[in-house]
Amino acid sequence: MENDMKKEAGRQYLHYFRFWFIGIGILALACIGAGIAKQTRGSEPRTNQDAPAERVYDYADVLTDEEEADLRQYIAETEAKLQIDIVLVTINQSVEGQEAMERYGLRSAGWEQNMQDIADDFWDENQYGYNKGFEGDGVLLLHNWYQGQNGEHLSTSGSVEAAFSVRDIDKVLYAVDDYYDTDPYKAYRAYVKKVGDLLDPSWQLPFSWYTVLFLPVIIALVYAVSGSAQKKAENTVAVNTYVAGGKPEMHDKTDEVIRKNITTRKIVTESTSGGGGRSGGGGHHRSSSGASHGGGSHRH
Amino acid sequence: MEAGAWGRGTLPVPYKGKEEIMYFRCRNCGGNVIYSPERHGMYCPYCESEESGERAESQTDALTVCPNCSGEVPVAEHTSAVQCPYCDSYLIFNERVEGRYAPQMIIPFQMGKESCKQSLRDKFKRCLFAPTDFLSEARLNSMQGYYVPYWFFDYDTTCSFQGEGSKIKVWRSGDKEYTETSIYAIHRSMDIYFEKMPADASEQMPDDVMDLIAPFQYGQMVDFQPKFMSGFLGEKYNMEAGEVEGRAKALMRADAEKLLRESYAGYHAVKTERQDITVKARKTIYGLLPVWKYIYCYQEQEYPFYINGQTGKIVGTAPFSKGKFMAYVGTLWACLTVSLTLLQILLGLL
Repeated sequence: MENDMKKEAGRQYLHYFRFWFIGIGILALACIGAGIAKQTRGSEPRTNQDAPAERVYDYADVLTDEEEADLRQYIAETEAKLQIDIVLVTINQSVEGQEAMERYGLRSAGWEQNMQDIADDFWDENQYGYNKGFEGDGVLLLHNWYQGQNGEHLSTSGSVEAAFSVRDIDKVLYAVDDYYDTDPYKAYRAYVKKVGDLLDPSWQLPFSWYTVLFLPVIIALVYAVSGSAQKKAENTVAVNTYVAGGKPEMHDKTDEVIRKNITTRKIVTESTSGGGGRSGGGGHHRSSSGASHGGGSHRH
Repeated sequence: MEAGAWGRGTLPVPYKGKEEIMYFRCRNCGGNVIYSPERHGMYCPYCESEESGERAESQTDALTVCPNCSGEVPVAEHTSAVQCPYCDSYLIFNERVEGRYAPQMIIPFQMGKESCKQSLRDKFKRCLFAPTDFLSEARLNSMQGYYVPYWFFDYDTTCSFQGEGSKIKVWRSGDKEYTETSIYAIHRSMDIYFEKMPADASEQMPDDVMDLIAPFQYGQMVDFQPKFMSGFLGEKYNMEAGEVEGRAKALMRADAEKLLRESYAGYHAVKTERQDITVKARKTIYGLLPVWKYIYCYQEQEYPFYINGQTGKIVGTAPFSKGKFMAYVGTLWACLTVSLTLLQILLGLL
């Protein structure tokens, strides 16, 4: 008898959650299928053969040879995974003011504009880009170590330009900012890692992990409360249930107006005006060679 | 045995003299004929004959002895109809349905056991956290039909009301808003004839349950005949009309006040100057009303369910299984989390 009840309980349980279990099964299969499909299509060969093999240009000499070698290795692994070019350039030169403008043939006296130009031109001239030499997929970090002008510029191109918002660019630059003054090698590893994380499709999620964590808890709580609540019964006795004929016998029903009073009030209307504007934009622009880039800078 | 549940806590009545017990016997097969709510008539469950019952009476030394099989029958102080636990015959005690205990009216059972089971299943099928065997066939079969003793009171009431009511009208014209407040003198005078305000006359039936199980449709009330009790358990009144009248009167007064209020509805605000409700008791009658009772025992606790034997209205709350609650809520939570996670991953992969 007890065994029968246990079996019945199990049957009811499976019956009740059948659609959930089937749905989860289908989703799991779809995930496996999508994962396999991604694996097979993920290894697209590099199509741009014009760019140099070098990825780390430490002109400012802030990295040791071993650190450079490690970075090259790390960049190569990330590039293979994401199919983009990842370039690092460090310089130690003035990029601000009239003198720098004349000396290096810069088009502006401003630090930010010049950092952007140098980064974009470096990318364009070397024809970087995983898939093509012009507007190809990839990212370049230019770090200027010149005293008083220390700062980075991130130049994005192709698919990375399309994928990165201004916020993403900031995230990469902040990752570098966290370590640049104590350990440049760590800062540049953070740069590569952050780019990798931001472009990893499994992290580009339709909703936040907080939603995944807390939404089910809330729904389960609502379910628990609604499933537990029950009333003994509703009182369904109408007020006239026991009244002969269903209604009272009315003898007097008079309603006489004894007085009236009218008050007036002036309607005050408030006119509303104004409204806010929004300004801002992405970091999209064209370099001197006419290629489209995205990017942003942080100056220390 | 279910009959025992009816008389829980009470002692069998001791022998006082010759007792008369009636039961309904099938003319065709001699089996015990019962009243069938589905057929609206007498029915023999043994030979399936209809209207073949004849009243048989026998005298025994004590009500606790079945005249059919001489088995011992559990009889409580107020029991008027019982089922023998040995031969399953339904026995009706003459002296508890006749004379001063003769009901004037009865509403015979309109809902059979099977319809009641279905009603219970329909009502509680969404109670997810009830124990699995709560609505099992074996458990539901323990359900028993009872005739509950009721007093019915007729009242003539005269209600009058005098007061002031205000109505407010607001409108706009140009840049001005006008508010007109009209004050009315309200006069109401009406008679309300209440018929058969019910109050159960059973100490064992919880008053709140009996209030909730109402209403009964009095259109199906008929003169009492003992045959309607065959197939069910019953009780004679064990509270005098005077003891229960207070409840009926309170319900009647509340209804009268509501009806009076409804008569001057529509005012924005009403100030009462005078309100009178005078009540005159007209008639009191004694009758029996049909109620099915299902007691579910779970973890040493009883969960009683009362079903109106005429309308099928159910009063009672389903028991709560903590294990089932944890399993179901936990599974739902896990399913939601896993589904959202998989969805995240899938959309990320696409």
